[in-house]
Amino acid sequence: MNHAIGLRAGKILRVAIYAAMAATAGSVLAATAPATPAAATAAGFPTQPPAPGAAPALNLPTPSTQTLANGLQVISAHRAGLPLVTAQLVLRSGGEMDPPQLAGLADLTANLLTKGAAGKTAPQIASAAEALGGSLSAAAGWDESAVDITVTTPMLPQALKLLASVVRQPDFTAPELQRAQTQAVDDLQLLLSRPTALAALAMDRSVFGAGAYGHSRMGTPASIARISRADVQRLHATLYRPDNAILILTGDITPARAQQLAQASFGDWPRPATPVPPAPAGIAASNVPAVLLIDQHGAGQAGVMAAHVAPPRRAAEYYVGMVANAVLGGSYSARLNEEIRIKRGLSYGATSGLQLRRNTGMWRAAVQTKNPSAAQVVELLLGEFKRLGTTRVAAPELAARKATMIGSYGRSLETTSGLANQLAGLAVYDIKLDEISRYVQRVQAVTPRQIEQYARAHLAAKNSKVVVVGDVAQFGAAMRQAHPQAQVLPSSALDLDRPDLRSALPTN
Amino acid sequence: MRMAPAALFATLTLCAGVVTPVVAAELTIPPIQYHERTLPNGLQVISVEDHASPNVAVQMWYHVGSRDDPQHRSGFAHLFEHLMFKSTKHLHAEQFDRLTEDVGGANNASTGDDATNYFEVVPSNHLNTLLWAEAERLSGLTVDEKNFQSERAVVEEEYRQSVLANPYGKLFNEIDPKSYTVHPYRRPTIGSIEDLEAASLPDVIAFHQTFYRPDNATLIVAGDFNPQQLEVWVDQYFGWIPKPATPIPQITAREPVRKKDLRYTITSETAPLPAVAMTWLLPPAADSADSIALQVAAALLAQGESSRLYQSLVYRHQVAQQAGAEAEPRVGPGLFTAYAILASGHQPAEAEKLLHQEIIWLATQPIPAAELAKVKTQLLTSELKQRQTAQGLAFALGQATLIGGNPQRVNSDLVALQKVSADDVHRVLQKYVTGARSVTIDYLPQAKAAPTAARGAAK
Repeated sequence: MNHAIGLRAGKILRVAIYAAMAATAGSVLAATAPATPAAATAAGFPTQPPAPGAAPALNLPTPSTQTLANGLQVISAHRAGLPLVTAQLVLRSGGEMDPPQLAGLADLTANLLTKGAAGKTAPQIASAAEALGGSLSAAAGWDESAVDITVTTPMLPQALKLLASVVRQPDFTAPELQRAQTQAVDDLQLLLSRPTALAALAMDRSVFGAGAYGHSRMGTPASIARISRADVQRLHATLYRPDNAILILTGDITPARAQQLAQASFGDWPRPATPVPPAPAGIAASNVPAVLLIDQHGAGQAGVMAAHVAPPRRAAEYYVGMVANAVLGGSYSARLNEEIRIKRGLSYGATSGLQLRRNTGMWRAAVQTKNPSAAQVVELLLGEFKRLGTTRVAAPELAARKATMIGSYGRSLETTSGLANQLAGLAVYDIKLDEISRYVQRVQAVTPRQIEQYARAHLAAKNSKVVVVGDVAQFGAAMRQAHPQAQVLPSSALDLDRPDLRSALPTN
Repeated sequence: MRMAPAALFATLTLCAGVVTPVVAAELTIPPIQYHERTLPNGLQVISVEDHASPNVAVQMWYHVGSRDDPQHRSGFAHLFEHLMFKSTKHLHAEQFDRLTEDVGGANNASTGDDATNYFEVVPSNHLNTLLWAEAERLSGLTVDEKNFQSERAVVEEEYRQSVLANPYGKLFNEIDPKSYTVHPYRRPTIGSIEDLEAASLPDVIAFHQTFYRPDNATLIVAGDFNPQQLEVWVDQYFGWIPKPATPIPQITAREPVRKKDLRYTITSETAPLPAVAMTWLLPPAADSADSIALQVAAALLAQGESSRLYQSLVYRHQVAQQAGAEAEPRVGPGLFTAYAILASGHQPAEAEKLLHQEIIWLATQPIPAAELAKVKTQLLTSELKQRQTAQGLAFALGQATLIGGNPQRVNSDLVALQKVSADDVHRVLQKYVTGARSVTIDYLPQAKAAPTAARGAAK
């Protein structure tokens, strides 16, 4: 759970959030006859962009899946090209399984897997993984926990053995637990000193309240301190089991080989007689003020967020929501960045995202801006959420944003690890894997009318939640003018363990 | 020229050593078979076919970076990079996004000390359009005052986000200013609000005329394209652009050898934990014999949790929350940097002592063969991961050409990597680090005047 900080801003990007681009998926360019060489003169230079040729087709992988006798689902997708394979072991449970008062337990448990297992110490496991050219990283998300490694093909059998040993036979020694707790608390301190990171944690509470997705998945300094070795062992025994797990292998590997290697490393992993515990309700009533200002004195910028509850991942409106988000804030050219960065220069970047989970979800828009602009940015965010439900999206805008989504999706499948992540995203929600090849047609089918109806149903202004973290002295008055109900919470009085975020909220 | 296919096969003996039984496997990395030519106007064109996906990456690299910021205009090269997305003779502002994002592609750009790159990836049927668009903004930039003002405000927000709102931003932004005395690398790439505010539209026009010219640029195309068709389009769109008669300004400053160790203290209002960073001057990246060995030294110190710094500072002594080392290649004098962010309850001096100890150890004591094999396997695997995509291939070529000084280094560096011995690691560390003078920066949280969120829910 280290939040690595880049050593230096050696290179500075134009766009803040930038998905790594990629390539792989067999396609052969039709032989094009060379055009007649044009004279290299200024007069021969076209005065408008040359038209594109015929569009190439996305070449999508065909995943295979089988289930071992012990219930482990094995998924593989072959990708010819470089001798690389990603192996990912995913559990269908994550931070939502943290018991009350033990926020961060699932993440700490995942983190501890590689810190001693099957007779090897933490340094020995790190050495073994790195000698294979990869590194074993383990973390808990929401609805899933995962351990993965990417190695060259010849290293795969050993990498899988190592992966199986940390998942199945972790030691969870007391000294390693203590070390992980100390590091987790320092990590949290770093995280909470960033305005947007703190706003995100407060927003989880604001949207999900006392529900299972409301607490800090990385824990809080207080909850981390409460975790005992028995808690970690209990969570591992309850959730790390073959009938709650998926093994994904992508890259230079055939389905037959995947099956054979899975059987060798995980075939004798026993399935407990007890059933897998059910997932808890993610959302419950929230008593966080609809407009919350958290005062972080001296903050270099304000972190501004607006959010709504969204339907869960398996809801029928999934693709409508995804396309609506692409219009709102899913890319550089989407509406939020257009209004906030490009037109007004108020931020380095404004984005929105959908976090869709097992039984609920969240729409969240996020911006960092200079403190005096925070109130203006809040109004711009709320205005754009509203516009989705009041004005139908024009056809050219919709076509452009769909193209952005589809292109980005295609590139996400070009690396072995990107492909594994896409498959995991389907498998943990028991969505059929052939959905991977239906993405394009599903996105193209979404209409402007569906987006408008979706926005009216899910993005009504009266249900919006706002959190701003920053130097409140610089924007509090402007915020209260627009939102008289806004409440201020000094960051020193913030308690992320409590559903209302505070023990005593000062009135103002 | 086209690279001879078999000549540069990089064969690495991979030892899965240390703990697991030693199983050696031979892995062959095919060289990147690129094609290189130079147009009469000086534009360098490098291309590599890869039909793994129906996408093509187009990158324009200019030999200009923050080292070339005008006097009292720190951050200008980077501000300028943003303005290249505004209007040109035949494109309106942000039309680059229409030609990329709106058709299923993506674009971005970055500014470093020595180079500025503009990079796009698009479905391959849009290659023609993108080549034209890159030629267009090389030859016909027309930024107006309104666009200039609003984009400058964006860059100022970028400064606030990376330097002010990032608890360690201020430290990393001060490393260059404290590490160089004369060389223009001493200016931070992001600049300062004051210098950004001083920049004007005439500065923009002058900068474009001075540095954005075909003989100061490298075009890289990687992915799904037809090579003959590419040549025709490149000639048509770029061939006519004149090569200016004026010379390209060169950096003449020479950074002197450090005569003594120096130490600085910087304070932060937002950092929850102290940090320490140390730097040493390195030779230019073109000195490949030493630069590859320095990369291996940095990887032995800091790549992964089995690395020496992690094992010592984070794991055994638990004085640091993070520790790192990096040998950063530059066209001019580079930097070797070692740093640590402290664990709570510990002070910079404790981390500094351990950083020195590990570096001296590595520079003087025997290095186990399995450990050396491990970092070579790590470096090789990450190189392979980068080469999975057209954009990754193009970046590897750009880095080799503009920073390493020659596109051939995209292949020869892998060969050189395998030859690095324990003696080489000892030699370069003794020459540039343990036998040279350091700059040390202590980064200390400032006593807080008012409560902050750093404690979260601590009771």
